[in-house]
Amino acid sequence: MARLEDVLGRHRVVVCAGSGGVGKTTVAASLAVRAALGGRRTMVLTIDPAKRLANALGVHAIGGIGAAVTVGGIPAGRLSAMMLDQKGAWDDLVNRHAPSPEIRERILQNRFYQHLSQSFAGSQEYMAIEQLCELHASGAYDLIVVDTPPTRHALDFLEAPRRIADFLDKRVVKWFIRPYFSASWTTMRFVNRTAGFLFRRLEDATGISALVEVSEFFTSMSGLFEGFEPRVRRVYDLLRSPDTAFVLVATPEEQVLTEAEYFCHQVHDLGMGLRGVIFNRAHRELAPGRRELAKELPALLQRLLGDAASVDALLENFQRYDVVGRGDGLRMESFRRLLPKNAAVAEVPNLNSDVHSVAGLRALHPYLFAS
Amino acid sequence: VSLPAAPRSLFDRRLLIVAGKGGVGKTTIACALGLVAAQQGKRTLLAEVDGVGRAACLLGITPGAIGEAHEARPGLSVMSVEGSAALAEYLAIIVPVRRVLQVVFSSRIYQYFVAAAPGLKELMTIGKIWYEAERVDEATGEHRWDLVIVDAPATGHSLQYLGMPRAAHEVFRAGLVGRESRRLVDLLTDARRTAVCLVTTAEEMPVNETLEMYARLRGDLRMPLGRLIVNRTHQNALDPAAVERLAHAVPTLRDEHERALAAEVLQRAQEEAGWTAINRKYLRQLEKAVDVPIAQIPFLFAEEFGVEQVRTIAVRLAAALAPARRPRDKHGKA
Repeated sequence: MARLEDVLGRHRVVVCAGSGGVGKTTVAASLAVRAALGGRRTMVLTIDPAKRLANALGVHAIGGIGAAVTVGGIPAGRLSAMMLDQKGAWDDLVNRHAPSPEIRERILQNRFYQHLSQSFAGSQEYMAIEQLCELHASGAYDLIVVDTPPTRHALDFLEAPRRIADFLDKRVVKWFIRPYFSASWTTMRFVNRTAGFLFRRLEDATGISALVEVSEFFTSMSGLFEGFEPRVRRVYDLLRSPDTAFVLVATPEEQVLTEAEYFCHQVHDLGMGLRGVIFNRAHRELAPGRRELAKELPALLQRLLGDAASVDALLENFQRYDVVGRGDGLRMESFRRLLPKNAAVAEVPNLNSDVHSVAGLRALHPYLFAS
Repeated sequence: VSLPAAPRSLFDRRLLIVAGKGGVGKTTIACALGLVAAQQGKRTLLAEVDGVGRAACLLGITPGAIGEAHEARPGLSVMSVEGSAALAEYLAIIVPVRRVLQVVFSSRIYQYFVAAAPGLKELMTIGKIWYEAERVDEATGEHRWDLVIVDAPATGHSLQYLGMPRAAHEVFRAGLVGRESRRLVDLLTDARRTAVCLVTTAEEMPVNETLEMYARLRGDLRMPLGRLIVNRTHQNALDPAAVERLAHAVPTLRDEHERALAAEVLQRAQEEAGWTAINRKYLRQLEKAVDVPIAQIPFLFAEEFGVEQVRTIAVRLAAALAPARRPRDKHGKA
């Protein structure tokens, strides 16, 4: 079986994926610290780290590249971090691609855009991937570790570029561009019965002033995303490249693993490489070899502590965690059977502290990189 | 002269929205709330937004078709709600001619529109929930449901859903969409009909997200809050001195097996004590920052999570929600 160490060593991009709340950000940062300790120029692209973790990684401002981290024995200049802005992702897209300052302003001021940019999902996922492509192309890093945005479904991350491309599909956008509304639109109603019906409904539903605003929006946007399609293709090429490894982060809970299973299939179907799985916050029951001896446990604890009440409390706690560990263990074993043979598997216990320092990130290494 | 308002149960509303960060146990809490409400005689609908039928599974039934209510037990039905299905249903109401509908649904423009129109799915989802919450049975003249509980998506997406009606109202003031959206905003912001229950665990990231969402609900969304439910709290009852003594004793054991076994007992005691401390710290932070009654649900030690565990959570929830009685269950035993 492959080791996580090798996954880091053999790839230039490692994408940490998984559903929300499983500890992706921490795991991604910890992997990056490991690579940097090994001397590779490493960048961790992080989405929404806890403030103290961001500070530990030296990132203080959104969008900025953090000063290279020098603490914790990492060689100077080896670890950098970058934090993506979740909220202003669309503004960023517009700023980056608007052909002129006038058009940029017109879009940013459009009322329809202002609501859209707050509600249209997928933009931050797209920005994460586009940022990744840029960093990768710059050649400044030997390894880029990507923490993916918190999505309900791990897969949303992969589908975001495609969804935005569809949204900006020229053939469709043209329906909403001004000439149609002003001139040909009226003719259209008679030519295309369905379109006529829809537009009449749309007009009833929204009022004509709103439609003008919508149309204005699409008019400004068209041309903004010239060359968007090839860029999306490049994004998928990078994600499929042999240089890129996907690492799934999951907690051993039924719901999380069900989603993880689906994710594994999709990654495979899209021709991307699932190279590792990290079970986070995992419990294990007592090893079978120790169970016989566990019968002696009450006597042993009594001997050590001599206080019956404490012994009972400790035993009760021990057994409760054993119950949880039995379930976690069974679920992890059955999940492992679904994985490709060459995937690395690691298990991190439910550590009882928030990780918010480079030392804390290093403390995960014995589990992530156990031999 | 106005009399003081009678004490209201959390369930004396039309709509209860359960929201929180991904992975904190929202669906479980929503199911448990459903069980408690049904127990109290409310004809309850549990609506799972954009889900995969997990709520139905947790209540022991097979997930049914999207947009249809399926009875999980007397007084509690489950429904999966999804925006494009809700739009189709809505169009079927305003366009009664079947043949026209077929043409519309199969057209490329429609499909594009549904897939890409920003906010449309979110708006239709809230519309469907409004429809169910206000739905009146024609024969009896009574509401179809006494209560609709919504298992909302994770925080960020929830905010998109909850903010959509207001956004649509502002963009499309005069048109039909503007007027319909106004009714949705009215329901969402009406404290007599609606309450949001925030679910979190007492840890750094979920608490941060909860506080952000709390600020949005109190701020621009102007939505009424019902409870803050702090899920999976560890309530360690171990004597720290005993754990300390064990920690000193373990390395002195000569027998390797005994040492390993005692070390395992110690490690689990430390895990429990550590999480208890973390939970306490963040619970205190929440208590200071949030002006909503807090209900604590102890961590459930279980091998797997299914119908029986949800029922256990429901019992704890009922106790935690009961006024003027603090939960006594200190242990969290399965």
